[in-house]
Amino acid sequence: MGRLEQPGAAIACHHCGEPVPDPPVWLQVDGEAQPFCCHGCAAAADWIRDNDLGGYYRLRSAAAGRVGDDVPDLGDWDRAELLDQHSRAVDGGREIVVLTDAMRCAACAWLIDRALSREPGVIDCTANAVTGRIRIAWDPLRTALSPLLRRLALLGYRPYLAAGEEIERARRAERRRWLLRLGVAGLGALQAMMFAEALYLDTANAMPAPTRDFFRWLTFLVATPVVFYSGWPFLAGAWNELRRRRVGMDLLIAGSTLLAYFASLVETFRGGAHVWYDAAVMFVFLLLAARMLEQRARNTANAQVDALARARPVFAVRERDDGGRESVPASALREGDVVRVAAGDNAPADGTLLDGEASFEEALLTGEAQPVAKAPGDPVYAGTQCRERPARLRVTGVGQATRLSQLVALVERAQAHRPPVARLADRVGAHFVAGLLLVAFATWLFWRQYMPGRAFEVTLAVLVISCPCALSLSVPAALACVHGALAKIGVLATRPEALDALARASDVVFDKTGTLSDGKPTLDGIETFGDFDPFRALSIAAALERDSGHPLRIAFAPFDKGLPASAVATHAGRGVQGSIEGRSWRLGRADFAAGGAEDDDRLWLGDGQHGVACFQLRENPRADAALALAALRQQGLRLHLSSGDAEGPVRRFAAALAIPAPHARQTPEDKLAMVRKLQDEGRTVAMVGDGLNDAPVLAGADVSIAMGEGAPLAQSAADLVTTGAGLWRIPEAIELARRTRRVIRQNLAWALAYNLLALPLAISGHATPWVAALGMAASSLLVTANALRLTRVRPGRTAP
Amino acid sequence: MNILLMLVPISLVLLGVAIAAFVWAVRRGQFDDLDTPALDILEDDDRPSGRPRERNARDAG
Repeated sequence: MGRLEQPGAAIACHHCGEPVPDPPVWLQVDGEAQPFCCHGCAAAADWIRDNDLGGYYRLRSAAAGRVGDDVPDLGDWDRAELLDQHSRAVDGGREIVVLTDAMRCAACAWLIDRALSREPGVIDCTANAVTGRIRIAWDPLRTALSPLLRRLALLGYRPYLAAGEEIERARRAERRRWLLRLGVAGLGALQAMMFAEALYLDTANAMPAPTRDFFRWLTFLVATPVVFYSGWPFLAGAWNELRRRRVGMDLLIAGSTLLAYFASLVETFRGGAHVWYDAAVMFVFLLLAARMLEQRARNTANAQVDALARARPVFAVRERDDGGRESVPASALREGDVVRVAAGDNAPADGTLLDGEASFEEALLTGEAQPVAKAPGDPVYAGTQCRERPARLRVTGVGQATRLSQLVALVERAQAHRPPVARLADRVGAHFVAGLLLVAFATWLFWRQYMPGRAFEVTLAVLVISCPCALSLSVPAALACVHGALAKIGVLATRPEALDALARASDVVFDKTGTLSDGKPTLDGIETFGDFDPFRALSIAAALERDSGHPLRIAFAPFDKGLPASAVATHAGRGVQGSIEGRSWRLGRADFAAGGAEDDDRLWLGDGQHGVACFQLRENPRADAALALAALRQQGLRLHLSSGDAEGPVRRFAAALAIPAPHARQTPEDKLAMVRKLQDEGRTVAMVGDGLNDAPVLAGADVSIAMGEGAPLAQSAADLVTTGAGLWRIPEAIELARRTRRVIRQNLAWALAYNLLALPLAISGHATPWVAALGMAASSLLVTANALRLTRVRPGRTAP
Repeated sequence: MNILLMLVPISLVLLGVAIAAFVWAVRRGQFDDLDTPALDILEDDDRPSGRPRERNARDAG
């Protein structure tokens, strides 16, 4: 058995970064010939160059999406039904929001902005790289929507319908409302504190009473919008808590704010000794900032989930009884209808394939990018993409009955589940607040007996100083910062709690397919029988595989001597058959090609009765797999490999990466059982997978990571999603998660220590409300600043 | 202290202007995407919208 290396390193496409086929498409860019994987990418680069947008290639930090050779038919986007439902009238035209999955960095948004605003008839256009959304306003009198979307598709950004115009607008309005609240709170608080400062500086009580009152009314004026407009979320939250008879953080915040505000108002009227407007506004502003930070982090992570929406086509082509075709909304399909799916389109419903073989890409459901060949009668699932040839389906399931909908429901249910830690935190928080209210009340009772004049002031100081502000800030601030840092290295967390589990992880379980391997098989060895020439066997195999479209083709391509093959036929799941130099050959499983013998994971070449050669194929680890695994080991993690593939290849693959005791031939149930067993031993398991067939395992593990090229569905089921293929992100993310845990611990320790120290001071009357508010603010700032340390990513540093 | 009677209203007006400007900016979507605009200044684009030349070229062809 000889080892044959595949000659030539893979060249990456200049536009999309995918490996180029042999021969690549060449095009002059900036005076240099650049290789491209397809004519689509070359045309995109050509257009970008002709329009002086070449800056895109300099600015981008991630490769573009692959354009491909077939541009989808976007004619449906001009239909009135779609436009009525998903776009709205604006000044001088209509506006629509579309989603694309290929926008990977800010430069993409830049390119889309420039490209679309050059199209005639476009009024306005904004692309947001964070959310993957493109908003287009166009004048329907001057252009239809489809040419604009065609321009997008030609650049590699295939448009999909966003979740519906209503939801879209509601989300944007919500975000802007929060921003406004924060802005008003910030500006108002600043001004109110300046007026309050004038009052504080008057330590000798030298200010005439009218001037003092004038300042107090001014402070009242600027504090009012802050308390009621900006502080509205807290007031509403407190009201909700009251109605549900619970005490929570909102109640404490709203309570102390209103108490300070109204007591100040009363004092202003009475001309009393103190006002506490400044404490009220500072409170609202700082807490609002904390909430905003946390929300922002969550929105970034959720943008990924919308990718689900794109799998469902809006229109379906139905066959009428008389054989004619009609285009109907996908929602109008019924069981038993016959629909046609054009090549490149997604199936609108579950169905069975009628006449003729077809192939469907089920990446969304299985994570396998390779199309699956289907014979008539085979089931086809909604959302899977029809490849190469158009297909006819008889509909068996629509709407909620489709496999896709069931999976979406599964994912949503999993996401709605709150982890026990979060529930515990809620309960503890409620007890803490309830205890605090009791302490404040006791303080008031005591001071009422002891010194009635200071009773209110001291009670307010207790409420403000001991508000677990720093406590409540410490976790979200750290999480928001770490989400930013994670996004920089290309990792998105869909659940904030996931980071804690990731930091505690002691074991990492890899699913081999697509996770550790690069998905390109290479020839590992060849064995011939009799005196058959190995190189002849290789050239025959290469000729047979040449036009098969199967990934194995890549393994044989270097040995192609150009032998003509005729009557080549593919037998799905078994192999290829063809005639070369007058002889009939079969290449495939042992029972198919060499007759009789059982499938032994090797590829056989024969005439159907006797084998003349057999090939050992090997999957290669990704280029950075060894480095990433070394970094993980250095972090003290135990590595496991659990794969659905056969024993032999898995064993060899694990040996190449020095992973001990790999598990082969694992069903999802087996993988789950293995995870459970590790958990029973007290280990914390992080699962790295790529497809939806992993979903139960991903959910069963303590924390799950989905690699970016996998299925969007699986991504939304996973706790963390990587936006690129690099494995180095995993040790980086674990390192960040551990740093986050350290920061959160420091923050909690500080906040608790602060509260324990400040509370006795306040109870004993040594802190006035403004000192309390200042102390609280300083404490909050300190934990935020500590959390900000997390935003510094140290590239290349993977070990702790 | 009479100066206060002038300074205080000025500060209030400035506050109002600042809030109005902020509201305007938020409504116009200035804060919707904070990453992409950062790239705009890195790339010289002498033609503000790029449209005139583009349209002429298209008309000619």
